[in-house]
Amino acid sequence: MNILGIYSNKGGVGKTTAAVNLSFLAAEAGLKTLVCDLDPQSAASFYFRVKPKLKRNAMGFRKGGKNIARSIKGTDYENLDILPADFTHRNLASTFNKLKRRKRRLNRILDPLRPEYNLIVLDCPPSISLLAENIFNVADYLLVPVIPTTLSVRSHLQLLTFLKKKNYAKDNIFAFFSLVDRRKKMHKELMATISREFKGILHNSIPSLSNIERMGIEREPVQAFAPTSVAAKSYRKLWQEVDETLLD
Amino acid sequence: MNLSVLDGRDGRKIIGDLADYHLLIQEQPKAKNVAIYDTFDWRLFEKSLLLYGAENELILHSLSDYKIVRRTKVDSLPGFAWEFPDGDLKSLLAPILEMRRLLKLTEFRSLFTIYRILNKEQKTVVKLFYEEICRVAQEQTLCVHLHVEPVRGYPRYYRKTVDRLEKMGFVQINPKTMYFDVLKESDKTPGEYSSKLRLQLEPNMRSDEATKIILRSLLRTMKANENYIIEDLDTEFLHDFRVAIRRTRIVLGQIKRVFPADTTKKFQRDFAILGKLSNELRDLDVCLLKENPYKKMVPESLREEINPLFLFLNDKRSKVLEDFKNSLCSAEYSKAVRKWEDFLNEPLAESPTAPNATVPISELARKRIHKRYTEILKTGAQPSETANDHRLHALRIECKKLRYLMEFFFSLFPRRKISRLIKELKSLQDNLGDFNDLCIQRAYLRKTVDELPISGHQAKKTTLAIGSLIGRLEEQTQTAKGSFSEIFTRFASPTNRGLYHELFVATKGKASP
Repeated sequence: MNILGIYSNKGGVGKTTAAVNLSFLAAEAGLKTLVCDLDPQSAASFYFRVKPKLKRNAMGFRKGGKNIARSIKGTDYENLDILPADFTHRNLASTFNKLKRRKRRLNRILDPLRPEYNLIVLDCPPSISLLAENIFNVADYLLVPVIPTTLSVRSHLQLLTFLKKKNYAKDNIFAFFSLVDRRKKMHKELMATISREFKGILHNSIPSLSNIERMGIEREPVQAFAPTSVAAKSYRKLWQEVDETLLD
Repeated sequence: MNLSVLDGRDGRKIIGDLADYHLLIQEQPKAKNVAIYDTFDWRLFEKSLLLYGAENELILHSLSDYKIVRRTKVDSLPGFAWEFPDGDLKSLLAPILEMRRLLKLTEFRSLFTIYRILNKEQKTVVKLFYEEICRVAQEQTLCVHLHVEPVRGYPRYYRKTVDRLEKMGFVQINPKTMYFDVLKESDKTPGEYSSKLRLQLEPNMRSDEATKIILRSLLRTMKANENYIIEDLDTEFLHDFRVAIRRTRIVLGQIKRVFPADTTKKFQRDFAILGKLSNELRDLDVCLLKENPYKKMVPESLREEINPLFLFLNDKRSKVLEDFKNSLCSAEYSKAVRKWEDFLNEPLAESPTAPNATVPISELARKRIHKRYTEILKTGAQPSETANDHRLHALRIECKKLRYLMEFFFSLFPRRKISRLIKELKSLQDNLGDFNDLCIQRAYLRKTVDELPISGHQAKKTTLAIGSLIGRLEEQTQTAKGSFSEIFTRFASPTNRGLYHELFVATKGKASP
């Protein structure tokens, strides 16, 4: 059983689309999968057409147990459930901050779900806060989408520095290139440099494609409405690499 | 939830009418041929499982709630558990099927449609799996099955949908009912065959009548297996056939003086000959079934060297099987079976000459079981230093007689108490059985070494491998022998003795099933 956190301290890098498509592919491969939408913007819940509402909102989430089990919804796809986000997730860090063992609250919430699922995918909000530290503690692996731009690479570097400073192991941090435009020389050059200089960069990347943007209109994983598209194929390749490289 | 439609109602139309209440999506219907599989002795059905194959996929359902337990893609239908592709389905089926082959029970045409009920967000909240089942190449629907599946987190939609469907003409069904209905079309009844005895005797029944009921049931088992032995589908057809013969011989030998002496003697002779005919075939089957465990017992460096043995045994089995098939198809066999059948179907004599013929069966049963039990106690209670092979072998035969007698007369005694006694006896039998099997296999392997058609260097290496196997079997024989004393003490415990006394001697324990 694995918990995979799709995380970045930068927004708009393709975390949610990756979380939705990778979890769809995991479920399709026969893994009983749960997407855990931790982002108050609730985009993953939106893509699966599920209302962003938890039983007893942040209080219920904080307590875990039955409240969590009752909040889980089945998606339209076999083997794939979602724990939707709630708007009160915006206060999750401050809620955790008031509690004991504040950096390990997510472990308490998600550990009881481990026996039921083969894979839990966390769709994380963009921040380096107490919530992020909870994510680092609970996730077996972190998968970071990185746009091949200077600012995005700078954010990734910030993340790695933060993890080192806080003594988190870096072996389970992996990154993949997202929103790649192969026509741009700068993208190609940056990708080559980063792949050379950073460890844990996956070979497969996700291009910037209109079909991925269309997910907001279709409200489905790209595999469901355009299974033969380049976008779908890219996610499939990325899933295969994640499955082979990261997961037990 | 599993539903079927009331007679005269149109299931499709009713589901279509749900669109008045919800957004309803119908997926493209799929037609496919579906075949149901189980072993001859209904091992999957007995575990409440249903295995069916459609379009290169094998799907295992639970028959209690119709949920899918496991599924796997296959290129061709596996006959035995070990032929399944590695995975969850194989590991679940292997201990259930053991050495039995899967048989196709029936084939039908299924028209399968998935409907989905959506909420305002156009999210699926209930799934409906609607299936119309027809005979292959025929239009007429035999039965209709609707499986309503809730989507997690949307229980209200599910409850409302089921309520509506029930009001509109669907009724709840047990998936087992549907299974029985489909198989009925192929003249099959799930669970109709079992290698276990399922006899219902009355305590006051005449002993000759009760004995004939037992014997007729055993003859049915023999006949049920005959054709499959000829087809050589798996080894257990012969095994069940042989057990039926052995049980018949024990009935004739142990339920004494219920038929005229010369009649009993004549049939005892016939069945003794018939039993011996397949001895070698069964020995070969046992050896070949153990090919893998045997290979694991041989040191790795010699593992390949033992292959000539199994090649030889396989080859020999084909010849021995041919001989046995010829015997089964022979006029002598048919004649013997016909005579036996005629005898069993003869009306009971009004004033029979055999002294025990009219004795109530419960009385005779108690007497015979108690006699056998005391014999076992006597033989087994000899000091352990004398636990020689011969005595253990004799004890095994005694135990077998007792076990069969208790199984024949099971229905005459309180179920829980006799089951407990059978369970205790079984653990003793398992120990003695292991010991005996190991002795026979060792002897058989020793005998086979001389027959192997190989020579030179290979012969030396193969003999060495067989020798090391015999050595391991010898170790296991000693282990089985070593644990005998403890198992026998449990069997001969005062509690057990008391229960035997209560059921089979004391008048208080008279037949009250």
